[in-house]
Amino acid sequence: MSCEDELLDEFVVESNEHLADIENQLLSIEESGADVDVDLINEVFRGIHSIKGAAGFLGLTKVNDLAHSLENILNMMRNHELVPNSQMIDIMLRAADRLQGLINDVSSSNDEDVSSHITELENIATGTVTESKAPVAQVTSEPSVAETPSDVESTKAAEDDLDAQIARAFAARDEKASADEAQQQTAATEPSAAQAPTPQKVDKKSSAKKDSQEKKAPETSIRVSVGVLDRLMNLAGELVLSRNQLMQAIGSADGNSLDTIASRLDQVTTEVQESIMQTRMQQIGTVFSKFPRIVRDLSGKLGKQCALNIEGKEVEVDKTIVEAIGDPLTHLIRNSVDHGVEAPADRTKAGKPEAGTMDLRAFYQAGKVRIEIEDDGAGIDPEKLKQKAISKGIITQERADQMSDREAVRLIFHPGFSMAAKVTDVSGRGVGMDVVKTNIAKLGGTVDIESTVGRGTLIVITLPLTLAIIPSLIVQCGEDRFAIPQVNIVELVRVRGDELAERIGRVQDAEVLRLRGSLLPLIRLSEVVETKRTESDCDAAASSAASNCEALNIIVVETGEQSFGLIVDGLHDSEEIVVKPLSQHLKQCRCLSGATILGDGHVALILDVAGIAAHEEIQCDQELNEQKGAEAQLGDEDSQYMLLFSNHDDEHFAVTMDIVSRIDRIRADQIDAVGGQELLQIGRATMPLIRLENTITARRPEAKSRLYVVVFEASGKEIGLVVPTLEDIRDVTTSIDETTFTERGIIGSMVLGEKTTRFVDLFQVAELAHPEWFEREEVVDQTDDEPPMILLAEDSSFFRKQVAAMMSEQGYRVIDCEDGLVAWETLQSNEFEFDVIVTDIEMPNMDGFEFTECVKQSQWSHLPVIALTSLAGSADIQRGIEVGIDDYQIKMDRDKLLNSLRNFAGKKAGNNRRELQTV
Amino acid sequence: MNSTIEPEQAVEVAEEQYATFYVGNLLLGVDIRQVQEINRQLDVTNVPQAPDCVRGVINLRGEVTTVIDLRTILGMEQAEVTRTSRNLIVNSNGESVGFLVDRISDILTLRSDQIGPPPTNIDGVQGRYIFGVHTLETEILVLLNVEEALAVRANDAQ
Repeated sequence: MSCEDELLDEFVVESNEHLADIENQLLSIEESGADVDVDLINEVFRGIHSIKGAAGFLGLTKVNDLAHSLENILNMMRNHELVPNSQMIDIMLRAADRLQGLINDVSSSNDEDVSSHITELENIATGTVTESKAPVAQVTSEPSVAETPSDVESTKAAEDDLDAQIARAFAARDEKASADEAQQQTAATEPSAAQAPTPQKVDKKSSAKKDSQEKKAPETSIRVSVGVLDRLMNLAGELVLSRNQLMQAIGSADGNSLDTIASRLDQVTTEVQESIMQTRMQQIGTVFSKFPRIVRDLSGKLGKQCALNIEGKEVEVDKTIVEAIGDPLTHLIRNSVDHGVEAPADRTKAGKPEAGTMDLRAFYQAGKVRIEIEDDGAGIDPEKLKQKAISKGIITQERADQMSDREAVRLIFHPGFSMAAKVTDVSGRGVGMDVVKTNIAKLGGTVDIESTVGRGTLIVITLPLTLAIIPSLIVQCGEDRFAIPQVNIVELVRVRGDELAERIGRVQDAEVLRLRGSLLPLIRLSEVVETKRTESDCDAAASSAASNCEALNIIVVETGEQSFGLIVDGLHDSEEIVVKPLSQHLKQCRCLSGATILGDGHVALILDVAGIAAHEEIQCDQELNEQKGAEAQLGDEDSQYMLLFSNHDDEHFAVTMDIVSRIDRIRADQIDAVGGQELLQIGRATMPLIRLENTITARRPEAKSRLYVVVFEASGKEIGLVVPTLEDIRDVTTSIDETTFTERGIIGSMVLGEKTTRFVDLFQVAELAHPEWFEREEVVDQTDDEPPMILLAEDSSFFRKQVAAMMSEQGYRVIDCEDGLVAWETLQSNEFEFDVIVTDIEMPNMDGFEFTECVKQSQWSHLPVIALTSLAGSADIQRGIEVGIDDYQIKMDRDKLLNSLRNFAGKKAGNNRRELQTV
Repeated sequence: MNSTIEPEQAVEVAEEQYATFYVGNLLLGVDIRQVQEINRQLDVTNVPQAPDCVRGVINLRGEVTTVIDLRTILGMEQAEVTRTSRNLIVNSNGESVGFLVDRISDILTLRSDQIGPPPTNIDGVQGRYIFGVHTLETEILVLLNVEEALAVRANDAQ
């Protein structure tokens, strides 16, 4: 019996391979129509033919029959006797489906009735179908109305079949089956007779199916390329070698060789792991290949036209993901056809082409796989969604009013939300988008949606490449250790005990972290994972109380649309962990996605960041941050990132971070003093150091063994400012008092945290220390008749004065204006003839972009525009290039700004002679 | 004491072996074919947000196995781990689950006719996972239906 079973199993596997791509092949045949691609048909033909042959040998009569009929049609198409059309392909597709069904349930296939399919196929052969103008759906609903094949030719063909099959059937020494077949064959030739026994067979069929499903759950197999296997074999050899060496080394107790072997073992293990992972990788195309058929069938059924473009079939992901992603994707694709793409008439009305376009793309992005489904359909109306969500009680009216459109569209993923405005048989099958989301989340992925009404919808799915082994950070919480997948981790933040008050705030009951200008919600892991036992309750309370004065370790995590900070008690190593499933009794723990076993044999639970977010009801906070960011940008033109430090307990200083290139921490004995100049060795180069107390009025600090060096660049070289104590890096609103301290090297002073802080101009300080470094740039060509004229637009009076002063110091003439509009008016007044425009970006009335745009579209378009920013962001730069800004400079970076000015002023004056000099 | 059985029944009845153990003062038994192993691995990892009766998870030779405190299922106080505490690993629906029990006792061979129905005054939730009792000389052995016991706690959790 086992031999026969093995043969059957092999047959099933092989046949499934033949049939794997038949849908798409048939669809391509349909597409090419009369222009028959013989190679393609041959390929399908060969596949079907092999199935037929093997089925005949194994006595699988029904499979044999059906395959034979299909083969017949393909043969006729190949010989140009038939021109494939969509009705034919439809029937063939259904027959192929049936064939696959028979093969998958191979042991009871002989009891199935395939006569209707065979009749349909024969009708194609006889030309009945070609003439029929009946729409596809009608054919489907009445499969038994096929006309009696009175046609002599067809009967003859059928009889030929009969002989061939009976002969094979006998060979397969299954008399019963052959009798069965003969009976069925008769049925095929006389469809009216076949109809009678059908009802009786139904029960038997379904019960047989159930039985076979229960008793047979064949182990899924996977094809592995020989190359990968060879490598694995090789690595296995290496592993054995390493083990032998290890045994020897342990025997001889040789410490040195142990290190070598350990690293070798490490390397081999890594490679084995990678290779084995590779054997699990499959092309995502195996999932994608069924979608053209689905789109075709569904759009046909709904009377829509829809083209599906597929990209990235070759993207490889883990087998488990390939298997699991099919259903969610199918759902999304069906949704897009059903609700996304409009009916042809509506599309024409909206001025779109009749046929809708859907794009299905897969590609790698940042170590993950990204799948996008995009349609150019009607899009989703956020207002409608809101209304529906309110009527279903999912959200309140209040919440709806606050919601952005993007957030509203995401409501679709909310449980209990059916996307269909009307329930059709396509959607509304109880599978909502929330299920899609949950299923994708189970795979460790995320799904997001964007939609524009009238323009279409884009659904983005991101998936990890593999599930089995994931790099994770092990963290400590109370007595337990937990693993957090690295993919969720954005950064680690440590807040020192003395910073707690400033960095951690409270909004009502929630803790938040100030992180670079935005507020990040915080969750204490100890509260999430609090176990119910009383003693650990006490522990947790004690530890959280204790942590009030200790430093906090915060792990900033993100899950698609949310990010938040997780406070943990301690951090361990980053490890590659093997994911073990949790028992089904623990499935309701939403905060956990699995477990793993650590190096010491203990179990560590893997945290599900999305689950924690849901558990703690973290709102979709991106919008919030976006708003905050926008506000910060609008309101805070004068604010600057400042490095705050003190030279002495009572003396506080600040420098702007914009010009700081880095901060080094050094030991005092690393500083060399050569000829009165302090130097710091960095690699092979030396960096001159300057000290505040030597250049400006400042007290000498106490000697410390460890110092910081603030490194900045001036006149082409790196200079370090020695700083004994760093205090903070903070966003400071620069309301600067410029009158109290008028010393050179000091811009002004401000009061920060009740301490008077002096704002240091690093360039001037450097110049004070070493005037000789700056000599050459003193000159703005005095030989010129007129020094270049600069139009400066800057809204902050502080910066305006600073920049203007710096420019006039260099010999430029400067006209300063407090915003873009004033500058534009000044320019238009023709009062002055300007050579260069220097403008700030963020300004009231008219910002730098608008101003530049105006200038570039006017008679002054030849004027170079230099934009000043605090910190140049790439988005800004892009926008700037679009409107025609010639250069970007950072406000306080005097050197570069002056360089840039020299270049542009020189060019502008048309003074080539001078330009040559400066170069 | 079991001499009252009628002979013709005795021919038909099958014999079953039961692993017996104590939870509190209660003597319980489970079908030995369901018992995978008994171990002393009591160093469990707590699982946050797990139902009360889940003691935690252990590493059972590479498989992460849930340990369930049988006492809480039986409506008693949570168990204290003592010198005699053991994990009784049973197989339920193809997956291993551990029961934390206070003390392991004997293996008993019982004929099905030696097993009586549960007393009628046990009912409700607890009655569901007792499928029979057997009277020993000094004690009553309560036979546990593992699947039901686990199902009960799964339902509780929801």
